[in-house]
Amino acid sequence: MRRLPSLLVLLLLSLRGLASPYTPQSDEEVLEQLPRRLAAVPRQGLALPQALGLAQAALQRARQEGDPRELGRAQALLAPWWHLPAPPPAVRLLRASMLQTQHRFDAALQDLDALLAGAATPLALRAQAELTRAALLQLRGRWPEARSACTRLAGLSYAALGAAVQVHGRVCLAELDSLQGRNESAAAALAQLARYPQAPAAWILLLRAELAERRGLAEAEALYRQALQAEPSIYTRAALADWLLARRRWAEAAALVLAHQSDQAEQAELVRLPDALLLRLAIAWRAGGDARASEAAAQLQERFEATALRGDGSAHARERARYALDVRPDAGEALQQAIANWALQREPADAWLLWRAAQLPAAPKPLAAQARQALEQFRRESGMQDARWSAAS
Amino acid sequence: MKRALMVWLLLLCAGAAQAHKASDAYLILEADATGLSERVDIALRDLDRELQLDADDNGQLSWGELRARAGEIDQLARQGLGMTLTDADGGRCTPQALAPLQIDTRSDGRYAVLQRRWQCRAPAQDLTLNYRLFAASDPTHRGVLSLRGPAGAAQTLVLAPDGHATPLRLGAAHSLLSVLRDGVHHIWIGLDHILFLLALLLPAVLVREGNHWRPAAHLKPVLLDVLGVVSAFTLAHSITLALAAFEILSPPSRWVESLIAASVLLAALNNLWPLLLHGRWRLTFAFGLVHGFGFASALRELGLRREALAGPLLMFNLGVELGQLAVVAGFMGLVWGLRRRPGYPRWVLGGGSLLIALLALVWLLERSLDLDLLSPR
Repeated sequence: MRRLPSLLVLLLLSLRGLASPYTPQSDEEVLEQLPRRLAAVPRQGLALPQALGLAQAALQRARQEGDPRELGRAQALLAPWWHLPAPPPAVRLLRASMLQTQHRFDAALQDLDALLAGAATPLALRAQAELTRAALLQLRGRWPEARSACTRLAGLSYAALGAAVQVHGRVCLAELDSLQGRNESAAAALAQLARYPQAPAAWILLLRAELAERRGLAEAEALYRQALQAEPSIYTRAALADWLLARRRWAEAAALVLAHQSDQAEQAELVRLPDALLLRLAIAWRAGGDARASEAAAQLQERFEATALRGDGSAHARERARYALDVRPDAGEALQQAIANWALQREPADAWLLWRAAQLPAAPKPLAAQARQALEQFRRESGMQDARWSAAS
Repeated sequence: MKRALMVWLLLLCAGAAQAHKASDAYLILEADATGLSERVDIALRDLDRELQLDADDNGQLSWGELRARAGEIDQLARQGLGMTLTDADGGRCTPQALAPLQIDTRSDGRYAVLQRRWQCRAPAQDLTLNYRLFAASDPTHRGVLSLRGPAGAAQTLVLAPDGHATPLRLGAAHSLLSVLRDGVHHIWIGLDHILFLLALLLPAVLVREGNHWRPAAHLKPVLLDVLGVVSAFTLAHSITLALAAFEILSPPSRWVESLIAASVLLAALNNLWPLLLHGRWRLTFAFGLVHGFGFASALRELGLRREALAGPLLMFNLGVELGQLAVVAGFMGLVWGLRRRPGYPRWVLGGGSLLIALLALVWLLERSLDLDLLSPR
């Protein structure tokens, strides 16, 4: 009888996903694969140029490897300036990019707007802020504003910085064209821009692949593969995996995801796999009837819960919606998360997700109607074209 | 500058592929009547970054490498948590030695598990955390605190490593109504108390004549008998409950629990081989004293402050009596209706008492010899 309360506590704890700790058997047992060692963040602050260089490198690693601890490191390096209302322009630009990576889009936009409004911002930083802002506005579905930013970049405002900025501006315009259904001209423009020596080859390949996929062309696959070869980013790998999943090529999709970190044992890979890739793996394994499907799904669920616990839950709405749609499945949750995500991000992938969630027979009717209406309105106002669903709706 | 710009532009193209979780540590604090148990889980990756644990620098952290540095890890955690704890009397609670280091696996890798107890002289009450773990190396780090007070109410808090003091109160004041409910709850889940009562009530609707039982003809003498038994039990356990609650008398719980089991056994055996027929209230009073000590341990688990004990004690006792009254009323209605059935003496009284006796015997063995015969009980 006296044991009853402690039993209840144990039950509650186990419900909250707390496993019991253990003592390893031998000193040789390897507990963790560590990322490469970096110099510690110095206790006494660095001078601004060094701090900026190190922080920029950390941000780049965060994006390439999907490890948010690198963002923490970058923020630590910039600590003396981080909380200033108006930090030096270079810091402010980096801060905006980091906020964007953390999906804190409004705060990021505030910094970028301030940089472009400030007379003291050097031209090169201004160009970078303009391009970052254009990407952010495009992501949020604010296409007319994105278009004016891209037009400025492609024009003469930044000519003093050389041709690279103009090329980026034109790529950015071509992408907006492609989103709005000007397919032929956008495809031609992108193919032509790819020939410039200053052209961002991987980016252009990715945009061409995405455009081909929206148009329903088979050449998308080859373009995705070339883009991945040019720049093995998580984003591109996930996009190619989605292409394969949409064609029910489960085994190939799983192999592609697992090739992300081929130098490690497969067991470690599941834990170290970024969420976006683990999600594709879980879908591929489930659909392909792989025995490890439930393990991957449980791992994902645990990650979502852990993220929600620290208060970052909303940043994962895209992954959560996809998880509820293709892994769990749970129609109500899928639609709810897809709607939450649509409030934050409005790329073609997000529209496609929302459309799929609203089509589910088990989705709550009023919510589904609301979602379809929001999509229809966005399509009318922005001119978005996507063969995957535009024709069907 | 051009080169830097190119790098920057390339960076943009990677897209916002948000991935893994940022760094978190988990604090699980559970307060009880005599202190608090502390558990801190810290990611091995964070510890290695901070302390360079990977001694042979091969990119793999082994148990041996980790274990060798347990002291430094604990020191880092204690500085990072900045925890102070005082008890209900305002005394400082003292942290005990670190339990042996352990490991746990979470969604983003392995964690070191640090556990220790904080000892207080009275129930733990005021907790202050000055959280600044990894403040210098990762401002996006968070401490996820799960805090359970002595009454069992849990709260979750997310702490940023900003060094701000976070004051938390543990011994949330119990409302008198909740203590009343606790009393009712305690008697209802306390199978041993209930069986003791049932064993006493089973023969109340019968009259012993020579060597066999006959149904009682009138309700009044039966009710008087029941009233006597229940009052004796109530009076006795109220006395010892108060004595134990104010710590005037506190016999070892193993003895108390064993004697409670013995009381159930004797009450049931007295139905099978009646020795004491008249004045059963005396037996009830004697054993009621023991049951009162048992109630006291449940009251102690609520972690009440000693200077404000009178009100809750009264309410808890009232709850016990109400719960008991409900059991008695329901049961008496049932057996009064059944008493004329020919099988009542043999099957209900005899069979029921035998079952109660057997269960009580198991309890008696378990509790006196500290065995686990029927777990979980």
